[in-house]
Amino acid sequence: MATSAAVLLLRKQLAELQKHPVDGFSAGLVDEVNIFKWEILIIGPADSLYDGGYFKAHMTFPEDYPQRPPKLKFISDIWHPNVGKDGMVCISILHEPGDDKYGYEKAAERWLPVHTVETIMVSVISLLCDPNDESPANVDAAKEFREDKKKFKRHVAKCVRKSQEEL
Amino acid sequence: MSDKVATTESGSDLITIFVKTPKDKVEFSVPSGILIKDLKVKVSEKFKSTVEQLVIIFSGKILKDSESLNHHQIKDGHTMHLVIKSLPKNTQASTGANSSTTQTSSSGDQRQQQQQQQTNPQPAANPFDLFSGLGSGLGSFGSGNMMEMQQQMQRELMSNPQALQQIMENPFVQNMMSNPEILQQMMVNNPQMQQLMERNPEITHMLNNPQLMRQTMELARNPAMLQEMMRNQDRAMSNLESIPGGYNALRRMYTDIQEPMLNAAQDQFGQNPFSALVGDGSNSSDATATTQTIENTEPLPNPWSSGGRNASRTTAQSSAATTTTSTANSSSTGTPAAGSMFNTPAMQNLMQQITENPSMMQNMMNAPYMQNMMRSMSENPDLANQIFSQNPMFADNPQMREMMPAMLQQMQRPEMQTVFTNPRAMEALTQIQTSMQTLQREAPGLFPALGNTFGTNLSSTTTTSSTTGSSSTTTAPTSTSTTTSSATHQALLSQMMQTLATGGASRPQEPPETRYQAQLEQLSAMGFINREANIQALTRTNGNVNAAIELLLNARN
Repeated sequence: MATSAAVLLLRKQLAELQKHPVDGFSAGLVDEVNIFKWEILIIGPADSLYDGGYFKAHMTFPEDYPQRPPKLKFISDIWHPNVGKDGMVCISILHEPGDDKYGYEKAAERWLPVHTVETIMVSVISLLCDPNDESPANVDAAKEFREDKKKFKRHVAKCVRKSQEEL
Repeated sequence: MSDKVATTESGSDLITIFVKTPKDKVEFSVPSGILIKDLKVKVSEKFKSTVEQLVIIFSGKILKDSESLNHHQIKDGHTMHLVIKSLPKNTQASTGANSSTTQTSSSGDQRQQQQQQQTNPQPAANPFDLFSGLGSGLGSFGSGNMMEMQQQMQRELMSNPQALQQIMENPFVQNMMSNPEILQQMMVNNPQMQQLMERNPEITHMLNNPQLMRQTMELARNPAMLQEMMRNQDRAMSNLESIPGGYNALRRMYTDIQEPMLNAAQDQFGQNPFSALVGDGSNSSDATATTQTIENTEPLPNPWSSGGRNASRTTAQSSAATTTTSTANSSSTGTPAAGSMFNTPAMQNLMQQITENPSMMQNMMNAPYMQNMMRSMSENPDLANQIFSQNPMFADNPQMREMMPAMLQQMQRPEMQTVFTNPRAMEALTQIQTSMQTLQREAPGLFPALGNTFGTNLSSTTTTSSTTGSSSTTTAPTSTSTTTSSATHQALLSQMMQTLATGGASRPQEPPETRYQAQLEQLSAMGFINREANIQALTRTNGNVNAAIELLLNARN
């Protein structure tokens, strides 16, 4: 029952996004038969270092979505303080619901069932424009971002070029 | 084109799809089986761009030219993302196999346009760079006068930020600006800049710092940043106070000498952060009064007076600057800068204040650096001579000059010092001065022949002469000269103006050959054998070898 609720919800979101896509990203399915695995293409925001890049990411939903958050993983290489070297996006709204065991985040900042693909992606895109080096997933990138902006920019530019070549 | 559509149309229904960019959304009616490359042709017409610039994205995928809408299950009412790229380089990468055919169609000027588009957003997109540069830049402005220079520079740039910004955004200019050497040359060749450099030796140093130059350029591009930076400088100034001992050093300098000087030079220095330190209304009003009397002479067609004013102003500034930097080592500044110091209206004003305020004189005489200075002056009669010849007061009064060495020795004697430190003796001196002023007031008939120009000057010069006179306890020659005849006065004053104009302008005490000896040797070792030109170049660049070389090379070309 829970599964079909998730399927219905995701189908609805997918149809909506295909009719009225949101600026900055495009979403579809990796495989037409699996509604739980989405393919997202993020268009590098024009006012960020990632301008001109096209970054592929996969969003994997749990069967009990929307009770639990999906996982977002970049397939393209991306150099960002809040994206792990494995591509996993570290953003508070994708963290399991409830209070943080470390006390860093409030429950309201974490996953809430009202979040949709759209709200998640808007958060991710804003993260591209404005990295949060307070809670880094890629410590090296965060350090560079903080201490050596030039090197950080070079690194990002390399990712942008690579993403263009992979198209 | 209609042929193409016709071929793909066969066997398919027309569907309505939307293509969306961040700005707008356009409706297309196409056959469901249309190939992406054909769709792109349609889209490119609507969006006024070349085919290879387009990237169509749907359902998380970038659509390939060889695929059809069917293939991606794009149905009626679906919306696709469209990204119009700006770099031809990117196009090559993305369009793959078909790119070679389409690429050639893009015309040259279009490419140029694209490149411009690419270069323009670059500086704006990286606010981080600016900030980090600012931080490191501020660190390098160790000394106070460096900041003043910066402020001056900024003020010039500020005068027209919009136009400047536009210029800076121009890709050609940006290209040029990215090369600090070209920039430096440009600046050095600019007559205005040269003037500025002559007046402020620090500017020359600034020009030799490419990092600083780049920063300035970035600042020019961004007026908001500029304001931020100026604010930061005020902060840095106040930070100077919090350095251990810094505040005390500042304050001591300020109360002893700096205050009247800085006040006089305030219009040059802009807002003076020191003025808040010691609020002494009477002093500052005195100082401005003097500057004003001098300024009044400016519009009058007297070549000496305006020249003299500028020159003395410059020296006032430079000597003030030197003393600011070497707060603690004021004893050392006493000797080399003294010559120029005595010339400044501020210094003369100070002298006046000294006589008006005996306790201040006492303080000054008790200050160790003052005694140091006196000692070095008496030990080195040449230096003393130089100093006194620089001073128009002494220069025009050979009697007095002769008296100087003797006077210095006298000054060294404890009896003499007690005179200075004795308030009553000082009071007597002040009385002499006051009576002289009274004479001036009561017998104005003595002065009308002097004319307007000299009249205003006279009042200030007579006071100075009397004050300097009183401090050297030889009031007699001056007072007599004041009362003798107006004709003598005129001659004396014009002489004075001349010394101000010439002596003040060539502020350094030594001839440039000796002053820049080390630099001259360096230059000749580098193969610049024209000694005259070398000296000239060094004088113009205030002894900066690098800048001098530039000048010499330019002159050669």
